[in-house]
Amino acid sequence: MKKKSMFWVLSMLLVLSLFLAACSKDNADTGTKDEGKTDDTEATDDGKPEKGGTLVYGIDTEPEGKFNFAFYDIATDAQILEFIDESLFTYDENLEIQPNLASWETENSQHYTFTFKEGVKWHNGEELTVNDWVFALETIADKDYTGSRFTNVDTIEGAKDYRAGKADSISGLEVVSDYEIKVTFDKPRVNNLLNIWSYPLPEKAFEGIAVADMAESEVVRSKPVGVGPFKVENIVPGESYELIRNDDYWNGEVNLDKIIVRVIDNTSTVGALQNGDIDLIEVQPVSAPEVEKLDNVDIVTAPGLSYYYVGFKLGKFDNDKLEIVEEKEKYQDKNLRKAMMHAINRQEWIDAFFFGYGEPVNKPVPSAHWISADDSDLNEYPYDVEKAKELLDEAGYVDTNDDGFREDPNGEEFVVHFAHYATGNPTFEARSQAIAQYWEEVGLKAEVDMTEVTLYYDMIEKDDPSIETFFGGWSTGSDPDPSGLWKSDVLWNYPRYNNPESDALLEKALDIDEVGTDNDKRKEVYVEWQKLINEDLPMLFIAELEEIDGVSKKVGGFERNVAGKNNAAEWYKKSDK
Amino acid sequence: MIKLIIRRFLGMIPMLFLISIVVFGLAKAMPGDSFTGEIDPNNTNPEYIEEMRQKTGYYDPVYVQYGRWIKDFVQGDFGKSTRYKIPVSELIIQKIPNTLFLALVSLVITYILAFAMGMYAGRKPYTLGDNLIAVFNYAGLAIPSFVAGVFAIYFFAFGLNWFPFAGSVDIEISKGTPAYWLSKIHHVFLPAVVLGIFATAQYTQFLRNDLIENSRRDFVRTARAKGTPMSRIYNVHILRNSIIPLITFLGFDIASLLGGAIIIEKIFTYPGIGLLFLDSVGNRDIPTMMAITMMLSFLVLFGNLLADILYGVVDPRIRLG
Repeated sequence: MKKKSMFWVLSMLLVLSLFLAACSKDNADTGTKDEGKTDDTEATDDGKPEKGGTLVYGIDTEPEGKFNFAFYDIATDAQILEFIDESLFTYDENLEIQPNLASWETENSQHYTFTFKEGVKWHNGEELTVNDWVFALETIADKDYTGSRFTNVDTIEGAKDYRAGKADSISGLEVVSDYEIKVTFDKPRVNNLLNIWSYPLPEKAFEGIAVADMAESEVVRSKPVGVGPFKVENIVPGESYELIRNDDYWNGEVNLDKIIVRVIDNTSTVGALQNGDIDLIEVQPVSAPEVEKLDNVDIVTAPGLSYYYVGFKLGKFDNDKLEIVEEKEKYQDKNLRKAMMHAINRQEWIDAFFFGYGEPVNKPVPSAHWISADDSDLNEYPYDVEKAKELLDEAGYVDTNDDGFREDPNGEEFVVHFAHYATGNPTFEARSQAIAQYWEEVGLKAEVDMTEVTLYYDMIEKDDPSIETFFGGWSTGSDPDPSGLWKSDVLWNYPRYNNPESDALLEKALDIDEVGTDNDKRKEVYVEWQKLINEDLPMLFIAELEEIDGVSKKVGGFERNVAGKNNAAEWYKKSDK
Repeated sequence: MIKLIIRRFLGMIPMLFLISIVVFGLAKAMPGDSFTGEIDPNNTNPEYIEEMRQKTGYYDPVYVQYGRWIKDFVQGDFGKSTRYKIPVSELIIQKIPNTLFLALVSLVITYILAFAMGMYAGRKPYTLGDNLIAVFNYAGLAIPSFVAGVFAIYFFAFGLNWFPFAGSVDIEISKGTPAYWLSKIHHVFLPAVVLGIFATAQYTQFLRNDLIENSRRDFVRTARAKGTPMSRIYNVHILRNSIIPLITFLGFDIASLLGGAIIIEKIFTYPGIGLLFLDSVGNRDIPTMMAITMMLSFLVLFGNLLADILYGVVDPRIRLG
């Protein structure tokens, strides 16, 4: 591929020495690791919490240093942020929303009344009030706001006008008292509450700072202010972060004196855990077998909220008209796609490349999610070479010229061009070759095309003709609505899956008149939708990965469930070990 | 001499200008921008990405973008990092003391080791000690620094627990105290040694060969005939002559140390310019990447100039020429 080699030449010119150092970096798995994980709570708890002590928490990517939920971009910053700030709401082990700093009431899913807890203190001593939340919402709706969160505010009535400068305040916000606020959304939706921005911003701390300068300000960078169990004491940028106990924490007492967050290279993960240099770290699957062997460290796993897939380009998207304008013929035959699914031994593949820290998945919703359909309702597409061959024969893909590979129904040569992103990570080529190999075993000629990751998603997004089948990954949040990735009018529907039935189901699941506030009804619709996708197979669902933590035996009180790690206030250090 | 320096400095300007075009061209030709690749359906959307591209002038003609960049650059405004969202100059200032400290310590270690080993090997060539030093040096030349770095961490940090495996300082020690500086030296030592291995090997072998060659010169025979003690001959007469070529290495070292620091800083998670550079490429943080590339290019030119000037200082024949 021409563009690809071009990239290599250029990047080699720029930084000849980079690759080798970059080998250890696996940054290409799209999507993110945001909040979320499972109900498989393996507590490391075997005693009474002790007070005091310092816990060293490892992260393997340098934080960007934007320590405020309204401004951060990457998961590493969020890991530190979780220690120092909290959301108005929290999620239970089924990813259902629960009150935290605030509780809510609504009758029609459009008008909400929120009641804040009294006596919650910011790290700077000010008390948290609804005004801080209004401040947050108005900051995000400001036209000078540099972050990407406006999508969490624009459903509030009047937010768009405020952003356009047509109003001095957001009309949908009505402050009743310091602890009570009425919020009106532009229309009733089942996910209004899930979608709304839920992190207050300390108004006093940001006093006198223009919105455009906030992301650069001290309050975000070096002296963040939150309401969480720990506060920032000292920062050595890009290296370590000293957090100390917040004595005024609103939600019970904090056990640890200190958390030191250390940035380490992921080649050092195993050694650092073994030596006790770090007590707790999220472990990559590739290091996990090594960590398991350590005597002084426990592995805690929990199914994650991300999944890998192999997508087919079924059409072409017009980003101006926001619709799929053209159909691509090559993979339209459903039996062909099903055969390709049956041909892949997913369990073997996961064991080989993720060391068993994952499960085959049959739908575009991680199993841990409450809307997830039960596998018994779906086709499970087990590894079955005979079945795959049968399906291909039926669909007319047979070998007519005896070259060992099948031709398409018109008798033309048929080659599967399979695209995968490339970084320095050497396993990517191997794992994509493995999938191509599975297809060749059922007689489909397959070629792997490794594309530099920076170019990869751009090409997929623009429906570049060279991309036919492609490897990708998504992660989902607590809001179950898959519309942003699956409706026929959205850019990120990469397979260009165009099925009015699917669109209708997705709309129905959000329609307040259809499902009301009843989660069971909503789930029913989503299960129906998953059945449809599972049958249509616009993408081959490969695997969902587990979240893995390496936890020193000296640490107690650590838990992880579908909604993430438990509150760090409950963690403690055992003195006798 | 002054004239030479001024002439060379002026000569650097068109050179830097050409470099800036190349750097900008390469950065532009790299596929994607800071908004590609990092899609997270949970907290961003296509409209936001489009809006930011409009705002940052992604769609302007290339010459307009170059003009804007170079105009600001000359005025000392290196732009704003797309990743950290703070001015690049601030980022560089934050990180550069670490890299300079690493380079300096590395240089000192290199000199100490190279002089000790080179003098010994040069005085006693073809003995067991000389051969051992040679083996050590060729190993140092042959082993890439990223391998040496990983092994050094494994043995000295995790195995023997002598040194920390990552970082530049212990965060719990308050700034400015003697313990703080000790902690800094403790942290920098291992990466500095690994960074210096290659240069040490070069220096040592160079010094050794030069000493051997010089010891056969006429002035050595004369000095010996006068009855000058051997140690004095080596330490004064020969060494002084042998140092000349070494000094010129210093100029080149500036560039190679900063370049080598890219890998070392990554492996040791030592927050300096190199790590910043590496991350900026990985994250398509174009303003940061361009600023650091320009800075490194300038340092290479400056290093060469320094080498020439030093040559002139130690060897008057060159000054005249």
